[in-house]
Amino acid sequence: MAFDPHLIVEYAPLLGEGLWMTLRIVVAAFIVGYALGLIVALVSLLPGRLPRAGVALYGTILRGVPFIIVLFCVYYGLPFAGIRLPAFVVGTLALAIFNSAYYAEIIRAAIVALPRGQFESARAVGMSPAQAMWHIIGPQILRSLVPPSTNMTLTMIKESSVLSSITVGELTYQGLVMQGNTYAPIECFVAVGGIYWGVCAVVSWLSVRLERRVGLAQAAQINRNRLAASFLSFERPRS
Amino acid sequence: MTEAPILSVSGLTKSFRGRRAVDDVYLDVYKGEVIALIGPSGCGKSTLLRCMTWLEQPDDGFITIEGQPFGRERRGNVIVHQSRRTVDALRPKVGLVFQQLNLWPHLTVLENVVRAQTVVLRRSRHEAIARADGLFATLGLSAKADAFPYTLSGGQRQRVAIARALAMDPIVMLFDEPTSALDPELVGDVLSLLRQLASSGVTMIVVTHEVGFAISVADRIAVMDHGKIIEDGPKTQVLDNPSSERGARYLAHFARTTSYDIAREEPV
Amino acid sequence: MAFQLAYLWSVLPKLVAASLINLQLALLIALIALVAATLLTIVRVMKIRAINMSINLVISLVRGTPLLIQIFICYYVLPSIGLDLSPIQAGVLAISINSTIFIAETMRGSLQTIDPGQIEAATALGLARGPIWHRVILPQLFRQILPMLVNEMTVIVKGTALLSVITVIDVLRTAQQIASASFRPFETLIGAAIVFLFINTVFIVLGSALEHRLAGRGA
Repeated sequence: MAFDPHLIVEYAPLLGEGLWMTLRIVVAAFIVGYALGLIVALVSLLPGRLPRAGVALYGTILRGVPFIIVLFCVYYGLPFAGIRLPAFVVGTLALAIFNSAYYAEIIRAAIVALPRGQFESARAVGMSPAQAMWHIIGPQILRSLVPPSTNMTLTMIKESSVLSSITVGELTYQGLVMQGNTYAPIECFVAVGGIYWGVCAVVSWLSVRLERRVGLAQAAQINRNRLAASFLSFERPRS
Repeated sequence: MTEAPILSVSGLTKSFRGRRAVDDVYLDVYKGEVIALIGPSGCGKSTLLRCMTWLEQPDDGFITIEGQPFGRERRGNVIVHQSRRTVDALRPKVGLVFQQLNLWPHLTVLENVVRAQTVVLRRSRHEAIARADGLFATLGLSAKADAFPYTLSGGQRQRVAIARALAMDPIVMLFDEPTSALDPELVGDVLSLLRQLASSGVTMIVVTHEVGFAISVADRIAVMDHGKIIEDGPKTQVLDNPSSERGARYLAHFARTTSYDIAREEPV
Repeated sequence: MAFQLAYLWSVLPKLVAASLINLQLALLIALIALVAATLLTIVRVMKIRAINMSINLVISLVRGTPLLIQIFICYYVLPSIGLDLSPIQAGVLAISINSTIFIAETMRGSLQTIDPGQIEAATALGLARGPIWHRVILPQLFRQILPMLVNEMTVIVKGTALLSVITVIDVLRTAQQIASASFRPFETLIGAAIVFLFINTVFIVLGSALEHRLAGRGA
């Protein structure tokens, strides 16, 4: 079966559109997912056993169910509640919600790793908990959030391919369109796979540079080797 | 003393897992006093200090700052907890210097001292910096204002922690084990620093397990044991004439092992 | 339309029956991946440059592309080069490759933490290569990576749900079929979610129990 590169060139614009959609979805889901994760993390830090248990349950549910099912639940569930949204919004939302559990854990771990004294000294001079978070805790954990976040980005780029099943026009969907038109699966999926691979490689490279810039001079509590290795190897997030 | 105490603790009790860390403590602090709060490890000194700034919520008892109730108040027959906002507003009046110092590593020395002033006391940045500069001059930190804490020596960091608390204009400064985080040679420096602060009129409570050190700095000594204050009085009175047997034993024991010659008030 | 719990309840038995496919496939994939990853790790240790370079290339490709694409490649691309696989075969192949790679990477990381002194001692005692692997290295390795293997198991289970996209009649596809007939998609999907949650929870619990038992035996 001959490999026809011309097909790829011909469909490059379509695939490009798909890629563009993928990137926009991932960025949006990253922001929304992090925001949601922040709320969940802060809830988990409230006193008492109920908040922590509730958040643990939230995490267990989201991580025990395949993303495609979460996606479908959101996709079919929203009309139930009378909300009709375009597919790509639903997809982005589902991606954000699904990963919010991971973001919550990342944020929570970063906050908990900070010495308690930092929070106490902020309160001792009269800061409110919110002020302490904003001025003292937040800036310090930002550094340690970078490596896991770039990991999550890679994961979300790959997860976004599932959105093709609710007809969101991202890269995988366009690849399937191309395959439907050309009946040339090799060219299609090599191209699509190659583009994903390229994007992941670029994101990975950027991540390493970002980590270096953010600098681990003073506040380094991170195992550098382990994380550098995990960037370059497109690692799965922990369960 | 005819004036009212500026800080008053009455019936303060705090338990952890059934064990009383602070047991029905009464303490009145008067303006300008330097109180050394001493006792064996685990006797509750640090917990008492933390209760005084409501970092630990006492199970029982009341605290008043300049006559105002702090943390908890009694209205008629009912005991009411103050709102978080009220407590936060009163906290700066009690300046706590942590044993671990807890400086903020992501901020410069100047910012460490300025940030709380602008955020909590709502001073203008200009005012806050001016105040900070004044404190740096007194404490010898002027050259380090733009440095980050990790570049400073232990002694310098401690002075930053002190400046940070002083910048809030507290009525009393609480020191939790100021000598423990430092090399022994530097203890003398801390000593003279605290003396300097005392002579400028700062009211201080210094918690330490180094009796000799406490004795050199303080004019009043309080001894704690198992959460209770067993001695409390002017320095010479407590040293010469302890009122309890346990207090006498503790002081005698440490008078022998201290690294300070009390009469000469300098390291041996 | 309000959520009907009773309907969810009535649909569950069918979904559970359909989930047996997911379970069986997951176990099969896990077995294949574990064996393949172990072999792969042993080969990598031999440090034959050409082989290791190609392995690293494959690893990079597999980790840099979505699982769904890998599934599509196995299902759509392989027939055009002569390898005609049924949906189930293609799915198992794709997920097996994916998991093999991740498990192998986990093993590699773990291998580096094993004390080389043990291997020296074993060699000094006269053990040949095979038994050294078999008796010294692998038992420790598996104990160390057990938590990550449990994690990978849940990933595999979740991966089988994607096979519904290439027409495998698993829980998800069954749920979709029921939903299109009954017009109650939400309840059926929640049902499918519950089934997956149940399966994964069982694996996690089993994994924890196994961890505890192994921990008891000491290093």
